[in-house]
Amino acid sequence: MKNVTLTLQCEREMDCPKEVVMWNYYDHEHLVGTHYKYYNSARVLAERDDWALVYRKMKMPILPFNCSGVALQFMENNVMKTFHKDSVGFLLEMEVHFKDLPNDKSLIKVIYKINTHPFFKILEPIFQKLFQRWFHATWVEDEPMRLRRWKVHKLGFKDFNGIDYINKKNSKPEKMEVKKYEFKPPIKSYSTINTKDGIERLFKESIEVGYNDK
Amino acid sequence: MYNLKSMNIEATEKIIKKDKEERDITWEFLATVDELKKKGQLTKWIKDHDILLYEYEGEIKAISNVCRHFGGPVGFHKAKNGVFTCLWHNWQFSCKDGSCITHPSLPLRQYDLKIIDGKIYINLLG
Repeated sequence: MKNVTLTLQCEREMDCPKEVVMWNYYDHEHLVGTHYKYYNSARVLAERDDWALVYRKMKMPILPFNCSGVALQFMENNVMKTFHKDSVGFLLEMEVHFKDLPNDKSLIKVIYKINTHPFFKILEPIFQKLFQRWFHATWVEDEPMRLRRWKVHKLGFKDFNGIDYINKKNSKPEKMEVKKYEFKPPIKSYSTINTKDGIERLFKESIEVGYNDK
Repeated sequence: MYNLKSMNIEATEKIIKKDKEERDITWEFLATVDELKKKGQLTKWIKDHDILLYEYEGEIKAISNVCRHFGGPVGFHKAKNGVFTCLWHNWQFSCKDGSCITHPSLPLRQYDLKIIDGKIYINLLG
């Protein structure tokens, strides 16, 4: 019998350029930070320029158990592809399509696919419900991250430095040139994620004060 | 005839006066003491400065809320055991003075505060 493909497509707009969203999707270290409620650990096994092999362990909504697996993530122009092999045995293919919209906005389309035995076709509604929840749960945590990243970029933020006028106690320059946001993988890191231990989340519960970026 | 020495003094005095005026007008209202006591920790954007205001060991303090790693919100989580943990990548900072525990060469900027009649003001240039 021929295999079938379970599919789900989700699409949302972002109020920031697509490169900021690419940065967010490609940042392996934020999994145990921004998504600390879901991800227990992350470890980059190998990484070269625009691809990375990552081990991660997480707890998805609805499912009553932890999942772990290895994911190969890479860029192909404006598409980010991830092949995620989980501990149950499924191979999940995820494609993220990035498109620029006018006024520094972008359109993000995410396609989840599992190629599997025809028996599992009856489970497609459950697959779709699960991944719709997953898409939503991670989107609501990533959205403020992307908006803030874009906001500080416009204020002249530089990685591993900060905002100059804040650090140097100067007045904010009257005119600030907003440079195009560039995304050049891999993302520079000083953390221990590239060691054999990777990084684990520091806590799974927190009193959240929240963002206040509006 | 102009006396260059007195001209220099005059110019310097003008600069000092202007600088002092500028610094005086940089005091901005941030929050009330009551508001802070109720929440224990809060963040606020003021004139493109993201401020993290909190009480630590009985003292009211303010540091930059912008993590110097990638710009994440340092005060997203309530501090635990005198340490702030940035939401995005878990960089940690001391509540004592904003020093960075993860990368000591990248401390957070501290701001001067003054409290008048239960209102907290912050000096954006101080």
